[in-house]
Amino acid sequence: MGKLIGGFIAGVAVVAVLVWAMAGSLMFREVPSPFGVEETVARIQQNIQAAGNGWDLVGLRNPGKAIEQDGGNTLPVLMVEACSTRYSGPILKNDAIRFLSILMPCKISVYKKSDGKVYIGLMNARLIGSLFGAEVSALMSQVAADQARFVTFDPTKPAPPMIKGTPGGAATGASGAAAGGC
Amino acid sequence: MSTERIYIYKRFERFWHWSQALLISVMMVTGFEVHGTYTLFGFGHAVQYHTLAAWTLLTLWAFTIVWQFTTDEWRQYLPTLKKVDAMIRYYAIGIFHHAEHPFRKSAEQKHNPLQRLAYLAFLSVMSPIIWGSGLLYLFYADWGAFGLDRHLSLEWVAFGHTVGAFMILSFFFVHVYMTTTGHTWYAHIKSMITGWEEA
Amino acid sequence: MSSRLKLALAALAAGTLLASLTAVAMPAAAPTSAVAAASNSTADHSKFKALQQPFKTGPEVTKACLGCHTEAAKQVQHTKHWTWEFTDPKTGKKLGKRNIINNFCTSPISNEKDCMACHAGYGWKDSSFDFSVEANVDCMVCHDTTGTYRKLPGDAGHPVYQRREFPPGSGKFVEAVDLRKVAQSIGKTSRSTCGSCHFFGAGANGTKHGDLDAALQNPDKYLDVHMDRKGLNFTCATCHQTSGHQVAGSRYEMAAAVTGPAHMRGKADAEPASCQSCHGDRPHPAQLAKLNDHARKVACQTCHIPEYARDAIGTELSWDWSQATKMGADGKPVAAKDSAGRRAFDSKKGAWVWDSYVVPEYRWFNGEFAYKTLGDKIDPSATVEINHPGGSPAAADSRIWPLKIHRGKQAYDTENNILIVAHTAGEDDTALWHNYDWQKAIGTGMKAAGLPYSGKYGFVSTEMSWPITHMVAPKGDALACHQCHSENGRLQGVAGVYLPGRDRPRMLDMIGWTIVALSLGGSMMHGILCVLFRRCKRSKQA
Repeated sequence: MGKLIGGFIAGVAVVAVLVWAMAGSLMFREVPSPFGVEETVARIQQNIQAAGNGWDLVGLRNPGKAIEQDGGNTLPVLMVEACSTRYSGPILKNDAIRFLSILMPCKISVYKKSDGKVYIGLMNARLIGSLFGAEVSALMSQVAADQARFVTFDPTKPAPPMIKGTPGGAATGASGAAAGGC
Repeated sequence: MSTERIYIYKRFERFWHWSQALLISVMMVTGFEVHGTYTLFGFGHAVQYHTLAAWTLLTLWAFTIVWQFTTDEWRQYLPTLKKVDAMIRYYAIGIFHHAEHPFRKSAEQKHNPLQRLAYLAFLSVMSPIIWGSGLLYLFYADWGAFGLDRHLSLEWVAFGHTVGAFMILSFFFVHVYMTTTGHTWYAHIKSMITGWEEA
Repeated sequence: MSSRLKLALAALAAGTLLASLTAVAMPAAAPTSAVAAASNSTADHSKFKALQQPFKTGPEVTKACLGCHTEAAKQVQHTKHWTWEFTDPKTGKKLGKRNIINNFCTSPISNEKDCMACHAGYGWKDSSFDFSVEANVDCMVCHDTTGTYRKLPGDAGHPVYQRREFPPGSGKFVEAVDLRKVAQSIGKTSRSTCGSCHFFGAGANGTKHGDLDAALQNPDKYLDVHMDRKGLNFTCATCHQTSGHQVAGSRYEMAAAVTGPAHMRGKADAEPASCQSCHGDRPHPAQLAKLNDHARKVACQTCHIPEYARDAIGTELSWDWSQATKMGADGKPVAAKDSAGRRAFDSKKGAWVWDSYVVPEYRWFNGEFAYKTLGDKIDPSATVEINHPGGSPAAADSRIWPLKIHRGKQAYDTENNILIVAHTAGEDDTALWHNYDWQKAIGTGMKAAGLPYSGKYGFVSTEMSWPITHMVAPKGDALACHQCHSENGRLQGVAGVYLPGRDRPRMLDMIGWTIVALSLGGSMMHGILCVLFRRCKRSKQA
């Protein structure tokens, strides 16, 4: 009996360690991009604008700027921010899950690494959504499906211009009324 | 089980053994990182820890060598072929059916003939290889000043150092296993901690 | 009146007085460093009679300058800034812009009217230019402190005399230069004056070098720790120490492996524009001695300029001339920009690739490039190296250097196997950018260059190397050890040196790990047998 319990506990411990070790890579994903930083961003932006389902661009953030202003260097990082009221609405209306507004807007990160190549960082919306009950899970799996389309590129199309800043005037203040999506 | 105990490993000897064990472990872990086998501390830190451990071990050895000669303990490493065949037969066959260990430890003879051979190999083969190549590696930048750069290449020095590392790593595994073959699995380890051997 | 009010009024009065005094004492609290530097001068050029005249042309100003600075023009005329020529002292080969074909606009020959906007002189419009005329030396392009002195393509090096639209059809206008004002405000060179050409080489901001662009006019610390406008605020000449108008630190005569301690740089300094002249060749503190050891094999720039073009301007990585003259769907010339708004295509010039924050390529380099110059034979079956970086791992004068390698495709004569000089700029019928006709453009260009042309041309892959040495990052941003000491690291392609962490003999590893596995496995087997027999370890070992 003791051996059985011991084995069970050991099994649980092994699984816990495995989950702990893999949780990070399950929740986030990194895929290489065939394009430069700006072109990757521009193509994602273009995909988002063409995606329908209420999706709209709400910003383009450059966290590297602050580091440069502090006198330090970082390789380029640009975060494409997008939102869709179709998915944000139900979450924001429900007190029980309003805290998930922390995940808004949806972000896709585009960055260069020291190998000189460009990568796209994504959140695994499907998995994270599945942690918060059926309603969120259903919404987030749709988000995940849309997100997959955002990073599917058609190289035969010419490179679109990158849309800088935050459309809809959100950059000028917190009002953000005109900003699409959220 | 007899309760007769003899004091075999003196305090300095135990201190030396365990510090050396720790330093060698650190150097193996960091060394194979520098070698490029894996990433653990990061290359820069691995080099730093490896170098620090090397200098510490060299200092320890300096004290130990003095100790070995002032206490006459160096004689423990004199090789003998006597009973070596019996030893080998014991570990190959005898150990599996309660055979009597052919060697009795004493304060005068701490190491069995196999150990003597193994430690002598460590001292006369592995040690010169690893320290010779290691010091050359460490002072790579100064080769020019000694005219060594015409005769040596870093590639071959690193090669030699890696050969030494593989030998020591193999030695390490066998050595650790052998310590578990006492009358209990921890008997030898315990005596190396307390100094007392239960006879 | 309460005492508190009195106190406040007194303080206010004192403050106002102090403020007005400060204003009087510093009437020209100039916003730019260039003017501030000029204000230290012992001469106020606006007070010189010779400069109080209505100048109509550049040469008129130069004549006025030479009235006092009698030797200045002669000095300039001995520099590359004037001759656009450099004779390699080792090979005797004639280099310089006049003789090489670069990987961008290729050659100034037959295009002088445009290219000579960056000549420190006036009137070099064709091969008839007289290099001995002192009045044609342009003093202002280097010594302007107003930031208003502009020279545009098409004027053969003359400044803008009349307000005009530039680029034509753009709706943007360039004002005529107030020559008198510029002449009276003359001063030391600045990042802006040097940069007016060196930041814009090959026709656009940041195009050519990668480590030089207009962001260096007022750089932040992150971009260049020495030129940091709020910090050390170096000008170009702080390092490129100049004597008698000879500017030190040319790419044509680089020292790639300077040794010895830091020193005060005097007139006889061999390489004042090197890191080592100020930092020495063992610049790191004692606890980082291992880094100092690296200096024998690795250039300072390799670690301390982890990426170049670290700004939104970016730099050009390739120029494909074979795409030039391709028209849009309607048969008319077209132009396109990339996602970042940089030039990507133009029917006049071909296709470009740009990027920012570029990871350099690394090569052994001894400071000497072997150039392909006008008329040199090429091998069209391989990529043509416009300038091959010399050096080898074993040589004491070589270091691992970061390079920008600019790639492209250029026209070449398929019969004679030489690179082509094409007449690109101009308004005449044979100019490529006017008529989109390669044959005519090549005919005119080759004739002007005095080169044979078979009548047949094709395009060949080319590359040109540019040593990276500006945009030095703050020390905390230098490369970390593992960025080179690892597989697939920065120095993956650099042979000839054993790099721990990157290199290891595979055979030794295989044998070594086999032996280790046998030791471990053998011990474990022995242990398992013991457990199976349930007997061992019970013997009373003495």
